[in-house]
Amino acid sequence: MKENKDVLFGLYDDEEILMSAIKKANADHLDIMDVYTPFPVHGLDDVMGLEESRLHIAGFIYGAIGTLTAFCFMTWVFTRDWPIIFGGKPYWSVPAFIPITFELTVLFSAIGMVVTFYTVCGLGPGVVNPILDDRITDDKFCIAFNTNGYSADKISKIKSFFSNTGASEVHTKVI
Amino acid sequence: MNQFTFEGKQKTFCLALIGVGLLCMGLTFFMDETPFHTRFWSNFLHNSVFFTGISLVAMFTLAAFLTAYTGWHIQFKRLWESFSMFMGVGLILMMIVAAGIWMHWHHLYHWAADGITEVGHANYDSVIAGKSSFLNKSWYTFGTLIFVGIWFFVFAVPFRKLSIAEDSEGTSDNAHHGKMRILAAGFVPIAAFTSCALIWQWIMSIDAHWYSTMFAWYTSASWFVSFMALSIMLLIYLKSKGYYEQVTAEHLHDMGKYVFGFSIFWTYLWFSQFMLIWYANIGEETVYFHTRMNEFPVLFYGNLIINFALPFLILMRNSTKRKYGTLLFTCGLVLFGHWWDFFLMIKPGALHTAMEAAGHGAHGAGHAVEAAGHGAAHGHGLEHAVEHAEHATGFVTGFTLPGILELGTFAGFLGLFLFVVFTVLGKAALSPKNDPYLAESLHHHT
Repeated sequence: MKENKDVLFGLYDDEEILMSAIKKANADHLDIMDVYTPFPVHGLDDVMGLEESRLHIAGFIYGAIGTLTAFCFMTWVFTRDWPIIFGGKPYWSVPAFIPITFELTVLFSAIGMVVTFYTVCGLGPGVVNPILDDRITDDKFCIAFNTNGYSADKISKIKSFFSNTGASEVHTKVI
Repeated sequence: MNQFTFEGKQKTFCLALIGVGLLCMGLTFFMDETPFHTRFWSNFLHNSVFFTGISLVAMFTLAAFLTAYTGWHIQFKRLWESFSMFMGVGLILMMIVAAGIWMHWHHLYHWAADGITEVGHANYDSVIAGKSSFLNKSWYTFGTLIFVGIWFFVFAVPFRKLSIAEDSEGTSDNAHHGKMRILAAGFVPIAAFTSCALIWQWIMSIDAHWYSTMFAWYTSASWFVSFMALSIMLLIYLKSKGYYEQVTAEHLHDMGKYVFGFSIFWTYLWFSQFMLIWYANIGEETVYFHTRMNEFPVLFYGNLIINFALPFLILMRNSTKRKYGTLLFTCGLVLFGHWWDFFLMIKPGALHTAMEAAGHGAHGAGHAVEAAGHGAAHGHGLEHAVEHAEHATGFVTGFTLPGILELGTFAGFLGLFLFVVFTVLGKAALSPKNDPYLAESLHHHT
């Protein structure tokens, strides 16, 4: 069972204010839990110091597996299992295999990446993820802090950070 | 620094490249072992087409980007404008090739042989006679003159004039930008259709019997990759000289994506063209690939390795598109690779045409150049042609593989191209001043 988090979050009206607020938080050594935005904000990853995703490496590996699967399977079918001559071509006709190899590479890589992404993010059918505020999906930008075990002093420091950086609202929520 | 100065050192370097090119072309001309100086002329055609195409694609990209409200490239659009100014030189180069057809300087195009459409003539060829309304000397000459002339004088030159005028006279209603948009919207479809016709004439008609509906697309993709690779290399060079400080890894990352994406697009077209012909297995179509796979295997398979496998694997990762070293390396590779691709398009057909024509001629008048396919006794001529065609299957320097002289010629044309680009680049500010999209370009983030 996951431990509940006491989340203190501030809502901002504009991504410019959000960006400068995050920079301020970094300068004040405040430990941001996460930032939520209604659309991708350019440069956010860099400011938050997020690592580059490793999803594409997984994608490459799935793709390579797809390539091998398709190519080996067709080779086996057309040379060992059920050799048929099509249009006077040799049994093992590589050019004819290319389109299917390509398709399977794309398919494996795409499905594999989706499954990996869902697994890593803990998403999937039946999973309910708590949302801090509905308007984050519409027009509000949110900076959230996990205040579990924080002293009252530290919490008031975060609150003053919100008021100093122009947050329009500050709320708490247990998720 | 927003003003490029074409320094003496750079001028000397470009002129040295041109010198090397002229020397190599001279050597090729006099050492040529193939009939009709075909090695020299096919080199000339190859490089003229390659660089003219790059400048056409530069203009096409500018126009397409403008039409699509693109802003990220605006900072360095003067570089592409300079590329597009090479079209004027390209027109002259292609006119030399066209003059060569009239004056019998070369025998690159079999359809240009005398009597090819006359029934009963020794050279008569019913397939080419059927295509003669398109494949004839006049249309080659005037098609090139009209189309490249329109690209250059009607679109590229006024486009650049407007762009420069915008620097000093630009107003808040973006009147210059609006006029450029009209030019761009006209250029995109016109260039797309007319470039196809010229590609068929310049390159595809070397194999006059063969045709492929994919060919123009495939060639344009090749031009585009070379154009983007050359742009990246020049931008990195200019940055190292202290120009274009605001062009960052973000811009180069996007250009790297273009090289990556269009390398794959090129492969897709290459394979589509190949597979349909391979699958259908119709003799008059497969001969094109049969010749290339069996007699030019290094060119044929090397083409796929340099232009697909390597850029695909190298540029796949995010970081390789942001590091100048790997970008420079890959761009150099694919620029050479697509030059190699054009080599493979042109050389086998040119060699075959020359050998066949010489086969006819050698029997008739005794010396090859004069006879250029005139009046040989039909049966004997054919035998000679077969003999020479067999002769052509061996290794022929400058055809089976690019030799030192081919690389030197390439260097010469590259020097000429850079000389024109740098000269034009120095005539206006490096970044436009009043372009409405300039701010977007300065704050570009991928």
